[in-house]
Amino acid sequence: MHCDTMSFSEQITRAAEGVPKIAVGILLGVLVFGIFMMGFDQGHLFSVAQGDQAYGDMWMHEFYHDMRHAAGFACH
Amino acid sequence: MKTLTFIAIVLSAGAIAGVILAALNQGVVEPYLERAIELENKAAAAEGEIINPTEYAAYRFWQKGGSIAGGAVLGLSYGALFGLVFAYARSAIPGSNNLKKALLLSGIMWFVLYLVVAIKYPANPPAVGDPATIYVRQSLYMAMIAISGFTALGMAVLYRKMHSKSRKFIVPAIYAAIIAVAFVALPPNPDPITAPMDLVMGFRVASAITMTVFWVVLGAIVGVFWDKLKPHETARIKAA
Repeated sequence: MHCDTMSFSEQITRAAEGVPKIAVGILLGVLVFGIFMMGFDQGHLFSVAQGDQAYGDMWMHEFYHDMRHAAGFACH
Repeated sequence: MKTLTFIAIVLSAGAIAGVILAALNQGVVEPYLERAIELENKAAAAEGEIINPTEYAAYRFWQKGGSIAGGAVLGLSYGALFGLVFAYARSAIPGSNNLKKALLLSGIMWFVLYLVVAIKYPANPPAVGDPATIYVRQSLYMAMIAISGFTALGMAVLYRKMHSKSRKFIVPAIYAAIIAVAFVALPPNPDPITAPMDLVMGFRVASAITMTVFWVVLGAIVGVFWDKLKPHETARIKAA
């Protein structure tokens, strides 16, 4: 009984220390997609639906224009 | 770990800090942006371009809305990164509570991901920047963030592996040496500064102030939420 309790609490400790893979995946996804969309897109995302026109319109670039400048990302 | 609580804490903290950043920018950074855009428009008008003031005002209103959305997206992204680093490093960061730990980490991440990068490639207002060099400038900016970020990550691992007291000097010295090499090896921003220097410098200081506030607020919110909701603990098992 005592032994059971020990291994059980060990398991809890181990589970508590790790970061679940699903959380790592979701947060890395948010990081990469968000930074690309806000700071780097020059028409790439909209080109999926809009074709080459998107690289001329650069909607994401224009929409996030002020924050790109203010946060130090390359713009213009 | 309570997975959903953890994700909710870091993403909501990021979004809140990002919207606060955007709101601050409206007062602190926008005046410089407006001045720079005015210069751009004057230059365009001198070249024969016709700008309809009503249409342009509506366009700027839309862009200012985009700036708020941009703050939220930037906040979500950096919140996600901050949360991951904090979750892995929390037990090793000194501090009597999670607020102190999170503030210390956000200070380090501000230094590594913002300040060091901004010293090499400082922010520029509109009116500075050649659209033809955008991909080069983006690559250089990303390279500097990656070099500084991954070097710092490596240094954190090294710091934990070293046991002598000298690690407090050796580890930062190695980081500084690698950053110095990167500063020399990476080419400078290829674009000449064509706007008045007082405008450019005023803009850079304003941008640095709000970005610094952003990192402090991000760390503070994650720390407060973490202390309250304790996402690192698994669900308590009640005695039968």
